Amino acid sequence: MSRFWITLGTVAGVAGVGGALLYSRRASAASSALTPGPAQVPPAPALELAPLPKSSEVDGDLVTNWGDTPVDLRPLFMIMQTVSKIAGSARVFAVIAYRESRFVSSAHNGNATGEEDERDSSRAAYANNKDRNPPLRYGQQAAEFGSGGLFGLLAPYFLWTGVPEVGKKAPLLNAPPELMFQPRAAAFGAVVYMQRLLKAHRVDDIADIKAGWANPGLLGSGRGSPKYHDVRANFLGDAMTLGIDLTDRATVPEKLDASAWPGVLSVFSALVGALPKELA
Amino acid sequence: MTPDLTCYGDDIAALVDLAGDFDLRSPVDTRAWYVREWEAMGEALGFAHHLAAELASRRNAGDWSQATAEAGVSAFAAWLRQRNRAAQRVGVTDKHAAAQASVIAQMIDIGRARGELWRVTVDPTTLETGACYEDESGGWSRAFYPDTAPGYFGDGWSGPPPRAESRCGWQTPLVLHFGTFPWVYSSRLDAAGPGLRWSSESAAPAVDAFRVMASTLQPEVNLRQDARQVAAIYRHFRSQTAPLLARVPVFRPGQIRVGQLYRQSGYLRVHQGSLEVAALAGPRGHLPATAYNHIVRRFAAFFAVRRATVRALTTWAPEMARMVASSTDPCLRAQVEGVARAG
Repeated sequence: MSRFWITLGTVAGVAGVGGALLYSRRASAASSALTPGPAQVPPAPALELAPLPKSSEVDGDLVTNWGDTPVDLRPLFMIMQTVSKIAGSARVFAVIAYRESRFVSSAHNGNATGEEDERDSSRAAYANNKDRNPPLRYGQQAAEFGSGGLFGLLAPYFLWTGVPEVGKKAPLLNAPPELMFQPRAAAFGAVVYMQRLLKAHRVDDIADIKAGWANPGLLGSGRGSPKYHDVRANFLGDAMTLGIDLTDRATVPEKLDASAWPGVLSVFSALVGALPKELA
Repeated sequence: MTPDLTCYGDDIAALVDLAGDFDLRSPVDTRAWYVREWEAMGEALGFAHHLAAELASRRNAGDWSQATAEAGVSAFAAWLRQRNRAAQRVGVTDKHAAAQASVIAQMIDIGRARGELWRVTVDPTTLETGACYEDESGGWSRAFYPDTAPGYFGDGWSGPPPRAESRCGWQTPLVLHFGTFPWVYSSRLDAAGPGLRWSSESAAPAVDAFRVMASTLQPEVNLRQDARQVAAIYRHFRSQTAPLLARVPVFRPGQIRVGQLYRQSGYLRVHQGSLEVAALAGPRGHLPATAYNHIVRRFAAFFAVRRATVRALTTWAPEMARMVASSTDPCLRAQVEGVARAG
């Protein structure tokens, strides 16, 4: 397998002389999970979602056209496709995860030098949207969080996942941003985001999905801009590097279709289950 | 009576417990243990779906050690074919694969005769092909990597040098570790396992090597393997990985971080993340976490089968007891005598 193996410097007490723990990823790892919030917000309870699904728990082809996607993550991508009823989306999610996290679930863009732009983005996302969205219990932490998880979601948007569809019933409004490090929660955010892109934007082909992932504006006024083309080129390059053939019509249709989407709460129940009552 | 494996070293008892115990005389017990071991291997290497289908077609089997082995090899072969076809790429050329298949067949014979199939070391120039193949440029290349530098399974095999001149440049012995397939080399452990590349359009020597690995779970083949060799390789692996593992925290519920690598019950795990993207690095090179777990599990399973077989020998397979009587392994002879005395 061709992977990038980069020393993980932020895991204190693990890396050491003569040996190191390595992760193949570009972003820094989460420095802490479920960090306490400001004084007026109670610390988030420790959360433990169901583990990654195993091959035996999912239907679908986990061998064909996956390239170097980690074997133990393929069931998650496949279950995302199955639950969302967006045929062919599993391999697309794999390519997106490769770019956003290098398949490291605790990828965190925002807590290292040089990642201020991610924090700036999450601050802006929170500031610009908090008045028109339901309140987030951990809104301030989300604003300062940046982005992360397998799919590189911006923290405020992750916690508002489902608001356009179900309003105040959106399931993550009381959750801390660190929940996105749990693969099933990240997967929920990702499938909801993909269905929204497919339903609410002009998506001409598979690469357009990644353009919208980077910024939905690239599917509108930004279409054709240098940034639009860069994102698309990176996505197509990532697919080649990973070894996923996006033109293989047996596994990836020419265009993805979210018309069979079963609904936010149904998808949340199938992917994540129920959150503890203090967060629900 | 539970056979005492400490003859092979004080660390073997702890190792064998990682794989759990079972009673070969109990079909239910045997089925549960073998299915669990094979499912773990299928999940780790990626052929779990194929294995499930093969196991389902053998649900009425009588001998579960045999049935699971057949299912496992069939599933692996089908998975490898699909994997290569899907990727539209094969690991090696037909000529390369043919040479590899020939070499593996001869190494299996040599290993069997020595009672040392786990790791087979040969002078490549004594083999039919010389362990060489004609490459695409028309020149001669080595059929396998010359894995003789110090590594995780040994301190290297610099000699003796080949007795004859090699047309493809062999200057050291050829060493393959079948027992830990697909991680067959001591000093070149990558994420996928180098043995998985041993297949072409027309041949799949990887399946032959996989079959050898799988056979170590078969009671009779397991007994024929000199366990002292396996114990020595395990001890070397353990000594090389212990300093690296010491830096990995122990998994303690309530004190865990998502995405972090932990030690848990003798294996590595990434909490809520992919094990395949984690690795250890040390003076002996890169060691993917998936490789570590597979390798440890192979050692543990070998000794679990050995323990179960010796325990059941006199009543379950007396003909094997006669075979053991002539074994060169004094530990095995003593274990069987001990079990026989205990009745």
